Amino acid sequence: MRAAPLLRAGDTPESRRIGPVTATDIVRFAGAGGDFNPLHHDPAAAQAAGFPGVIAMGQYTAGLLAALLSDWVGIENLREFEVRFMSPVFAGDVIEVTAEVTAVERDFAQLSLAARAGDRVVVTATAEVASR
Amino acid sequence: MTIIPGQLVDEVELPVERGKIREFARATGIQDPVHTDEGAALAAGFFGLPATATYSVAAGHYRDQAAFVEQLGMSISRIVVGSVSWRYLSVPVAGDVLTATRVVDSDEQRVGRSGPMRIVTLSTTFVDQHGNTALVQREVLIERGAS
Repeated sequence: MRAAPLLRAGDTPESRRIGPVTATDIVRFAGAGGDFNPLHHDPAAAQAAGFPGVIAMGQYTAGLLAALLSDWVGIENLREFEVRFMSPVFAGDVIEVTAEVTAVERDFAQLSLAARAGDRVVVTATAEVASR
Repeated sequence: MTIIPGQLVDEVELPVERGKIREFARATGIQDPVHTDEGAALAAGFFGLPATATYSVAAGHYRDQAAFVEQLGMSISRIVVGSVSWRYLSVPVAGDVLTATRVVDSDEQRVGRSGPMRIVTLSTTFVDQHGNTALVQREVLIERGAS
């Protein structure tokens, strides 16, 4: 196995900007995950629910954060990952995903992550990963 | 309607498939080649392509969404998912078959700023074909009161 990363409080991976998110991006994730709620692909259904257009499923944005995290520390070093859904992501949004190590224990580290669309925090997350 | 903790919600088999792993990797912008390149996966010490961190979400393809909402006595139009967590115990790889057993962890009524709400926490344990628990996923469903 690959070695666990050497992490220190304050460490960050290079942040990522995704988007503008397209309806195609949302549908591609719907196909992967199996979420066929019409809010995520049918503009008429999204408008009937009071949204200007289709919204991404929370798991899409959670996946963007998980990708940042596992690319940085290695999938085999994840111990825990928790996401909280704060605000919807709309087609056209540009998402910025960031992560930071907040604390290091003997053999693991705690991280705080966030996905933002402009000034809006759309998903926050925490993670625990193995660390040397 | 209140559900007793421990009550079974559903149980499905989730195969870990290379094509499905690639779909997750592509849809979420994963760059680590271990999820899509067998050589990279083996060189990193995996016995096959490892599942991505949120691969377990694909259990949605095997579940009956309407049936579980009805079973819990909830109204899908008033439900939002508040949070989801994963606890990882081992890394499933392509070829594994996970049995996903979802149960009710808790079922509470609370009064929030926008009125009464029901908060149902579900946990799904994913056990591989050898009987080892690979991960546990928890999701918190929030149902607004009927207006």
